[in-house]
Amino acid sequence: MRALLAVAFDLLREARSRKWFLGLFAAVSLTLLGLSLFLRLEVVDGALSASRLFGSLLSADAQPADVALRPVFLTVAFLGYVLGAVFLVVACADFAPGLLSPGRIEQLLSLPVARWQLLCGTYLGLLSLAALAGGYGALGVVVLFGVKTGVWEWRLLWSAAFGVECFAVLAAAMLATATVVRSAAVSAGAALVLFVLGAIASAQKPIGEAIETPALRTLFGLAVAPLPRLGTLCIFACQVLEDRALDGRAALRLSAGALVFAFALLAFAVHRFERKDF
Amino acid sequence: MDAALEVVGLTKAWPRGQPGRAFALDRLDLSVPRGSTYALVGPNGAGKTTFIKLLLGIARPTSGTVRLLGGSPDDARVRARLGYLPEKLHLPLAWTALEYLQSIARLKRATAPLLPLLERVGLPAHAHAALRTFSKGMRQRLGLAAALVGAPELLVLDEPTDGIDPLGRVEVRALLREERAKGTTVLLNSHLLAESEQVCDRVGILHLGRLVREGPLEALTRTAGYCLRFESPPAPELLTAHALTALDDGGYLFPGDDARALNATLAALLAKGCTLTALEPRSASLEQVLQEAVG
Repeated sequence: MRALLAVAFDLLREARSRKWFLGLFAAVSLTLLGLSLFLRLEVVDGALSASRLFGSLLSADAQPADVALRPVFLTVAFLGYVLGAVFLVVACADFAPGLLSPGRIEQLLSLPVARWQLLCGTYLGLLSLAALAGGYGALGVVVLFGVKTGVWEWRLLWSAAFGVECFAVLAAAMLATATVVRSAAVSAGAALVLFVLGAIASAQKPIGEAIETPALRTLFGLAVAPLPRLGTLCIFACQVLEDRALDGRAALRLSAGALVFAFALLAFAVHRFERKDF
Repeated sequence: MDAALEVVGLTKAWPRGQPGRAFALDRLDLSVPRGSTYALVGPNGAGKTTFIKLLLGIARPTSGTVRLLGGSPDDARVRARLGYLPEKLHLPLAWTALEYLQSIARLKRATAPLLPLLERVGLPAHAHAALRTFSKGMRQRLGLAAALVGAPELLVLDEPTDGIDPLGRVEVRALLREERAKGTTVLLNSHLLAESEQVCDRVGILHLGRLVREGPLEALTRTAGYCLRFESPPAPELLTAHALTALDDGGYLFPGDDARALNATLAALLAKGCTLTALEPRSASLEQVLQEAVG
């Protein structure tokens, strides 16, 4: 466990010095700072009476603050899920190929660390990175609007958790790909293709209904059956913010399915890695 | 003899075959005694790096066994007792030298202070410098420091002086001698034969995946005859009478290892007024031994 954490810690330390992550941190921080300074929300008796950004009136319709802010939180959740996943895939694509690069992997394998620990530690590091990025952004938004309006939308952290879960699937795909082809571009490509396929799999029913040939429809169903429903996870990430109750059982089933898929990919990666000569 | 590493029948087939050669290593048997400094030499493609990778469990043998420090290289406890410097070390360039060593120390669970290691390799002033600012030689020195983390019992160094300037090489040699004095076993893979000769006490010559020569350096490089040096050149008839041959370096070759004959020749030459200034057993350089061994 100690070795696993040490590998994960090293990945975080490496990420700290990368421009991608410094840029992300700066962008999120500046956005939050900018909004905290220049977004004025006037709340009277729990109702949002006016909102101004840089002095310009955005809205003067009076409505309950939580209702008025819901579209904002939904937009944050949706964009955070989609853009966050894409950003993290691109920014993290070369961690696994870097781990496996000649001259580095030989040294790591000569240390008293098991091969599975190297790979799983890297995976843990990637997930920690996603959790830190998602948590920082979500918490920043919650605190920003909480302080300005008194609406503390803690459920945004749940949305971020769904985003991290989505990235867990994509990160496993990147690791598995890297054990086959040591290329950051191919790793990122594989993860992004899986992201799109995961969205398609989420729309299996309407797409299937649109396919007229029964054989093709069956084939499509079989092809997407094992894929994680990453699109539906995104919908859950948004629905968790709405007042109507989330179908907890469906969310749990889908989350478990996505995690099983991620662990299967990770198991494949470990299997390949354990038998690989360097 | 207590062996720090021992391989028996070690064979590694090429993954996809290679024209004219099926094996990178072919039934290699080798034993390196504890405390020795062993040089593995051979031409490019001889299988030296493959051997090291099999030794450390970085690659898996097709057949044969490897014993390292009395255990298997797959055993993390065994790997905790060795230090390795790969041929082409890849460093995380955004880290500092100290951060890099800390990372290695964490993975090795070594608790000893790391700054003394940087001092030993001549990098104390660069502890907090980013590795991207390091020259090739400095990176190599740092790799050497990383190999020394945890005071390993076995050091496996693949081209340790690659990229290091001549003065730096002297320091590295001194460091290897210090390690040998501490009882550390050193396995050295280097193309610099003269350098290997200066620090190693045993040598193995690999050629086409096979160990063609192996043994103590002195025994491998020893050739028949003695080199005699005189204050002034002996008369030509004396040289002819005692079968002495002039060498390029100003000495004279006495053929054979017969001590009685050598003494008789010396007595005759001294009686004729020659003054002997040096008498050395004749030896070949490692380079000559390698040339002769690999044809």
